[in-house]
Amino acid sequence: MATAATSPQHGTGQRPRRRRRTLAPYVLIAPALLLFAAFMGVPILYALFLSTQGLRIVDEGVFGIRDEVFVGLANYAEILTDGAFWAGFGRLALYGLIAVPLTLGLALLFALLLDHGASRAKRFTRTAIFIPYAIPGVVASLMWGFMYLPSTSPFSHLTRELGLGSIPFLDGGAIYPSLANIAIWGGTGFNMIIIYTSLRGIPAELCDAARIDGCTEWQIAWRIKVPLVAPALVLTGLFALIGTLQVYGEPTMLSSMTTEISQTWVPLMHIYRDGFIRDDLPMAAAGSVFLAVGTLLVSLALLKATQRRAFGGFK
Amino acid sequence: MQLRGLTRYGALLGALALVAGCAGGSSGDKVITLDYWCWSGSQAAKVAAFNDAHPHIRVRHTDAGGGVDSATKLLTASRAGNAPDVSCVEYPTVPSMIVSDVLADIAEYTAGIEDAFTPEVWGMTRFEGQVYGIPQDIGPMVLLYNARRFDELGIGVPATWEEFAEVAAAVRERDPSTHLATFAPTEFGNFAGLAQQAGAAWWTVEDREWTVDISDDRTLEVAAYWEDLIDRDLVKAEPLLTPEWNNRVNRGEVLTWPAALWAPDVIHGIAAGQAGDWAIAPLPRWEEDSEAVALQGGTALAVTKNSDHPQAAAEFAIWMNTAEAAYELQIASGQYPACVAGQAAAAQGPPPALMAGQEDYWDIATHAAANTVSDVTWGPNVSTAGDAYRDAMSAAIRDGTPLTDAIRETQRIVVEEMRRVGFRLAQ
Repeated sequence: MATAATSPQHGTGQRPRRRRRTLAPYVLIAPALLLFAAFMGVPILYALFLSTQGLRIVDEGVFGIRDEVFVGLANYAEILTDGAFWAGFGRLALYGLIAVPLTLGLALLFALLLDHGASRAKRFTRTAIFIPYAIPGVVASLMWGFMYLPSTSPFSHLTRELGLGSIPFLDGGAIYPSLANIAIWGGTGFNMIIIYTSLRGIPAELCDAARIDGCTEWQIAWRIKVPLVAPALVLTGLFALIGTLQVYGEPTMLSSMTTEISQTWVPLMHIYRDGFIRDDLPMAAAGSVFLAVGTLLVSLALLKATQRRAFGGFK
Repeated sequence: MQLRGLTRYGALLGALALVAGCAGGSSGDKVITLDYWCWSGSQAAKVAAFNDAHPHIRVRHTDAGGGVDSATKLLTASRAGNAPDVSCVEYPTVPSMIVSDVLADIAEYTAGIEDAFTPEVWGMTRFEGQVYGIPQDIGPMVLLYNARRFDELGIGVPATWEEFAEVAAAVRERDPSTHLATFAPTEFGNFAGLAQQAGAAWWTVEDREWTVDISDDRTLEVAAYWEDLIDRDLVKAEPLLTPEWNNRVNRGEVLTWPAALWAPDVIHGIAAGQAGDWAIAPLPRWEEDSEAVALQGGTALAVTKNSDHPQAAAEFAIWMNTAEAAYELQIASGQYPACVAGQAAAAQGPPPALMAGQEDYWDIATHAAANTVSDVTWGPNVSTAGDAYRDAMSAAIRDGTPLTDAIRETQRIVVEEMRRVGFRLAQ
């Protein structure tokens, strides 16, 4: 911080100025701190408080009245022993195993291809791949939903014409790739841009030197470019992981089109159901706190595991 | 909400000015402002008509989303202390709203409209003499059928559920791409209606002691009936009103919809090209001698505890659902009024566009409305029941397990939650 102000060259007569300088950083971070407190700190504390409350019946009125009382950790005990909540995490894992590697893999592939000297129509291709990211998730889910339902699906129409019957996009295990597809379609462009920007930052002389040494383009991509964009890969990987834990929109939109998706299909749907269909906000708060803490821990673990490789490699 | 706050401050400032200035003046000509949430079609016109007729009350109408959304928002707003003065509430959620302390008892204002509704209709908003809403529209259950396709296939309209199954089999034989009906695992209210028709009473309450009987014998019989039809591929099990379903309705592959008097508008909305092709018939019966059908859907206008002007709010709710000007607008928009006078007026008009050719439409509709199941009590956690039903039924249909097990699962979840929340249970 303001340690420079205490260097011995400055005389004791500088005191008022010194105080001003030590005040400055606090003044400068005050707006951010205030906003953080108002929009992050207070809601988090409120959610923590709420998660220890419960709506219980008191004897009043024709049917009794539900009132907020302190229930300690009962909500946590309830939700953490709820099989449906954990089953949601299981589905997330399956979904994430399909969506995350494919999104990142495709994004890296496209970025490398765009960065390749021989590629043509780069600007158009870049925009074309990026555009799905600009489509709101709800619109994308509806659009894909229509393309999955047998009687409106162009794919199923084709297979039926060929005498193969409809493709069961929304039935059984097919729901996972179908959902992951929406995320991959929407997310690849965004991740590609991040990786591509990072690729553009690689000094040209590195690749030139490699070429003179006799590297093929494939070797340049694999041995030079990919290690150098590792920080970008870690970043996109982190986003993808958090994004997976927060999957909500796509299954919610598709849930009215198939019996495959229950209302507790993923943890966030479970939380929404508790809070807004079952009118049990304290339970929803407990679920949210658990999910937030879990996300934080998983993110930290991922950063820790990849830190050296990503950020320590080129000191 | 912010505006409302402002008017409150405005009122406060006004009061201070009066005190400070010792100024005289009558407070009788002050205009009361009411906030009102409702989603159905004719609301804007009805509210405008009310405002014109009542210079001392000004109602601001907001469409806060359909039944489920609106109920959620109302609960949340009520906790925050800024619920609207009056809101539409679906009948099944009225008890849960009372339990969540959202609704005000307006019995003191309703003495004059005792005869405006039948006891069956009052029964959905009045509990032990306390009135928690003025009924707006009701949905007596009827069978909607595509009369043109019925003629094409040469099949008759079933009068009993037994005949319904026979006709369903005949349909499959004559046109393999077509099903007589859809069994939607998502339609809790519809299934509840079918079970009530069969004599089920899912909840009963006495002295705040509840009995939950969702898996009683009648309900299990109804579930077994549909399970059999699904197993024999006589009805198609899938969600309703999806692009998929709408498409099949348009292609004439869905021949009937056992629903309620609000349903013609819904079908017209998705298959306008079939206007005039459809007709209604009495809902098939479980036994030859019992004609009573359930009420599915429908809403009441309820006054909230947050309201600062319960009397004006009650006056508004009563006018909206009993005044001639109001129900005329309601009928014009295709809604079936809850009040007796409104139902009589509706019967004088033409049938809905979807049933344009049907001469006895109103005879059948009025007959259904006059013969409804009485004493239906909805539980204090209907939304949990609906949600549990939906998930259990969907899973049963997906995995091919018995629907009766799904009903038992629903019962288990409902009872478990009621116990956890602290309701007294009779079992």
